[in-house]
Amino acid sequence: MIKAEGLIKRYGAKTAVNDISFTVKPGMVTGFLGPNGAGKSTTMRMIVGLDRPTSGSVTVNGKHYADHKAPLREVGALLDAKAIHTGRSAYNHLLAMGATHGIGKARVTEVIGLTGLDSVAGKRVGGFSLGMGQRLGIAAALLGDPATLILDEPVNGLDPEGVMWVRQLARHLAGEGRTIFLSSHLMSEMALTADHLIVLGRGRIIADAPIAEILAANTRTAVKLRSPYAPQLAQLLQAADVTITSTEPDALTVTGITAPAIGDLAARNGIALHELTPVGASLEQAYMDLTQDDVEYHAGGATPVAAPAPTTITEEVAR
Amino acid sequence: MTATTALPTSRPTAGSHLTGAGIVRSEWIKLRSVRSTVWSYALIVLASLGMALLMAGTIDFGGAPVPADQHNSLILQASTFGIYFGQLIVAVLGVLVISGEYSTGMIRSTLTAVPKRIPALVAKALVLFATTLVVGLISVFGSLAIAVPLLAGQDVVPDFSDGKLLADLALSAVYLALVAVFALGVGTILRSAAGGIAAALGVILLLPTIFQLIAGLTQAQWAADVIPYLLSNAGTGIFTPSFDGSGLEQWQNLLVVLAWVAVSLIGGALLLKRRDA
Repeated sequence: MIKAEGLIKRYGAKTAVNDISFTVKPGMVTGFLGPNGAGKSTTMRMIVGLDRPTSGSVTVNGKHYADHKAPLREVGALLDAKAIHTGRSAYNHLLAMGATHGIGKARVTEVIGLTGLDSVAGKRVGGFSLGMGQRLGIAAALLGDPATLILDEPVNGLDPEGVMWVRQLARHLAGEGRTIFLSSHLMSEMALTADHLIVLGRGRIIADAPIAEILAANTRTAVKLRSPYAPQLAQLLQAADVTITSTEPDALTVTGITAPAIGDLAARNGIALHELTPVGASLEQAYMDLTQDDVEYHAGGATPVAAPAPTTITEEVAR
Repeated sequence: MTATTALPTSRPTAGSHLTGAGIVRSEWIKLRSVRSTVWSYALIVLASLGMALLMAGTIDFGGAPVPADQHNSLILQASTFGIYFGQLIVAVLGVLVISGEYSTGMIRSTLTAVPKRIPALVAKALVLFATTLVVGLISVFGSLAIAVPLLAGQDVVPDFSDGKLLADLALSAVYLALVAVFALGVGTILRSAAGGIAAALGVILLLPTIFQLIAGLTQAQWAADVIPYLLSNAGTGIFTPSFDGSGLEQWQNLLVVLAWVAVSLIGGALLLKRRDA
């Protein structure tokens, strides 16, 4: 259980984390989603006391991280795959980390096996690929068999097998009743792994809700239709919440009304339909919609101009 | 690489928690598992033995007998010659022990395991001190073993009766170990290898020259007064009879060196505690 209250972090004039409060509950995977620079890593560093909050506080299982008798058994953290001395072997790195808590060789060997590093454990970390570095970071996080696991972008640099493995590991550990807090800037990754989602944008929480709820609220299904009488049908469909776009003379994309309703309407008016397809809006689109106002670094010119901002979700769930 | 998701159901770490002894053991594992440490220490021993060999083997008094009261002093010089070189190596090593953690990001792992931070620095200092002390003792007593038979050929024989020679030899190793800890503090303050090494070596090598220049050029008495209190001068004074006429006793020199170490280490500790990692 992680509990943050009024957490603020400023670096000089720049506010990285702007007054956020949230709770990460045990027994599920909580995703921490946000564009680069949204403040995810800063927040995670504050949880384990690497960065000091400008104000506010964050506790793990009721105490500040540093006040625990056995910090590594409370929280295992992968904050940065490169937080490892490059001149040391993976085995010695884990041995040194564990030694602080009296965790010995048996457990070190165990986490090496668990993360699939057996063949490279004796090699110096400097020669590791990004993926191997991630695995070693995860091994270090698991070392204390912690009740809470914080993983900052754990699938970065992993091959597809590794990505799958992290997903399963996160789910498995959550199933054991542990608290899993996982960050990513990829919505698709979150949709596959997380039960609950905290979305961060520009240092503020934009959404904090079960993943299904966020998807439902932000996913507006569209219907693609094709008809020789498209203009006439468009006339009939005109209504308050219905948006109609036309890409080809005989094709329409309609949102705000379901496919059966369109079919019924067309039948009543004797309009032949050649195609009627409900199209689920992508998760990525939902995420883009959620964070579009909060992305710190826009690619020049790529900013969506007239996309309707679904601000309702923000007000509903961000408290 | 195969990956499994099954976690053992037993709790292999139950009961383990953060302890001072554990942190010291961790720092010892860290120190010995990096190549630069092994190389640095090997170099100190080799250089010490080599210099003792060079000095004791080539010294020639032209057949004139050396006064008996200078025998121990000669033997001490030959055996501790390596310390002058060794202090530069341990200064670099002391900085690298911590700056290496900053440059690689390892410091974040260290401070996650030891979130109160200061115990990690203290453990680093203890391990570095003890290891460097042992290496220093091996160096000077190894040098002694080389110098004594060589100098005996010149009729220079050690007199161990009052124990002072052995104590001075041991003190030179203590100085070496203190320099390493001083450099650790400097490295903690500056966090970068380049800056830390420059600062630590600057204090050891450059400060005496600078103050001598000031004192020589301006006849400023204050500059001349400062000279004996500089790290390397006071350090030399711990194990050799004062040669600059400062009049500081050995134990006073030791206190001066301890003050240098304390300032750098406490400065490092305060910054380590306060800064974001």
